[in-house]
Amino acid sequence: MRDVWISAAAMTRFGRRSETLVDLMAEAALEALREADCQPDTLVVTAMAPEEFVGEGNFASHVGTYLGLSHVPAIRVETATSSGAAALYAGFVLIASGLHQRVLVVGGEKMTHVSTPRVSEIISRVIDPHERSYGATMPALAAIVARAALAKGLIAETDMAHVAVKNHANGARNPYAHFQWPVTLEQVMSSRVIADPLRLQHCCPISDGAAAVLLTSDPTGLKLAGMGQGTDYLAVRYRNSLTGFRATQNAAKAAFAMAGFGPERVQVAEIHDAFAPFEILSLEDIGLFPQGKATKAVQNGELTLEGRLPVNPSGGLKARGHALAATGLAQVVELAWQLTGRAVGRQVNARVGLAHSIGGMATNNWVTLVEQVA
Amino acid sequence: MEISGYGSVLSYTTLMAAPEGFKPPLHIAVVELPGGARIFCHGKETRALRIGRRVAIEQVDGVFYFASLGIADRVSMFWKRRGAAPERTREAVKSAVKRFFSVYNNGGAAPPPENGATSNGEEKNERPVEKR
Repeated sequence: MRDVWISAAAMTRFGRRSETLVDLMAEAALEALREADCQPDTLVVTAMAPEEFVGEGNFASHVGTYLGLSHVPAIRVETATSSGAAALYAGFVLIASGLHQRVLVVGGEKMTHVSTPRVSEIISRVIDPHERSYGATMPALAAIVARAALAKGLIAETDMAHVAVKNHANGARNPYAHFQWPVTLEQVMSSRVIADPLRLQHCCPISDGAAAVLLTSDPTGLKLAGMGQGTDYLAVRYRNSLTGFRATQNAAKAAFAMAGFGPERVQVAEIHDAFAPFEILSLEDIGLFPQGKATKAVQNGELTLEGRLPVNPSGGLKARGHALAATGLAQVVELAWQLTGRAVGRQVNARVGLAHSIGGMATNNWVTLVEQVA
Repeated sequence: MEISGYGSVLSYTTLMAAPEGFKPPLHIAVVELPGGARIFCHGKETRALRIGRRVAIEQVDGVFYFASLGIADRVSMFWKRRGAAPERTREAVKSAVKRFFSVYNNGGAAPPPENGATSNGEEKNERPVEKR
């Protein structure tokens, strides 16, 4: 298995965009190709539900043709909301195996033109059908997890709000973020209840956007040091624990094993905060903090840009936005920029970064480790 | 399959933003049955729920419902569980649940007489209707 390197990383601004989905993906992809100044020999495309959101299918071929790459192999990868990370993994495997030399991985989603109830309905299809028949939505299941975590003392309600405040503060410094303004603790804690105890400002937005990463077998200094995947039962009620995601735990173990180092080397992290409490719980699932200790880190300000372990310097899903299949890639783009000194306005000092992506209600999760070795 | 009349709450939520086909506020609880099976249930409210608390469970038309047990019911269940008569316990719980659901269905009207018989002498077996 040979090493895999990142030669380019690009993304569009996330938010309400008027461009088509393929246009957004082309914007990110062409920017990456310009940066690397090369042509890929393979294309990995990801979009979670383009047939539903934009009525277009055969998406690997669609994007391939749109980019002028209809002559190279192209596949589409999907693992619900962690599709971006899964697509990156496919690209990683194509190079690590020796079968290909330069893989363009591009992901995107366009959703803001569709009514919110319909978006919610489409996204809800990632949920176990039986639980869905009881009216479970993603916020409902996240609220069930949050309620259990609150009862166990793993998080406090103010901690959840602090996560949202921090991520908005970071997003305010990120020109690519969906929301580039801060929010206050009061605003978060007084926003309307979506699914008790989760409020509007604990939940990430619906965003349009795209991101692209170019992987290569030629050393560039920026190494894809490790990637791991973890899975779990589709049904939340089958799980052994409602407060820990086995999928994250296994993904992290696999990623660190591949990289050959442990969580102590991680200096910056992009964590999947689709719902604010997930940031806190995931830090423990990954092994960045011992069980029950992540909440203290939130309270101590350890996770801010100036803290010991900046988490979500991009603003996270909450402020940077969540364009479903683009998000897993956008996290890695942020890490690439952070590790190469290109994170304008929000730069941290780091050589090793971690990205964490959740698929569905934690059924198909990924952990990615990026290292600046040069 | 016979579902026993009670379970313990693993977690719960109330959705203010309900999906199509459901009316908010929508109350959902995840309940663990004796034996370890876990089910999703609907209910009238989550205000009285606590994680670990015992609730009454009933299955109507294939849908599970939870109902908070009043303190008298919980005390009575505790003593009955101490090896006396499991039969009587089950009947007491079923009666409590039936009482709750008929009050819910009748919009607060008087509950039927004891022993599960309804006022018109027939067994009520309809799915509780969502208030419009």
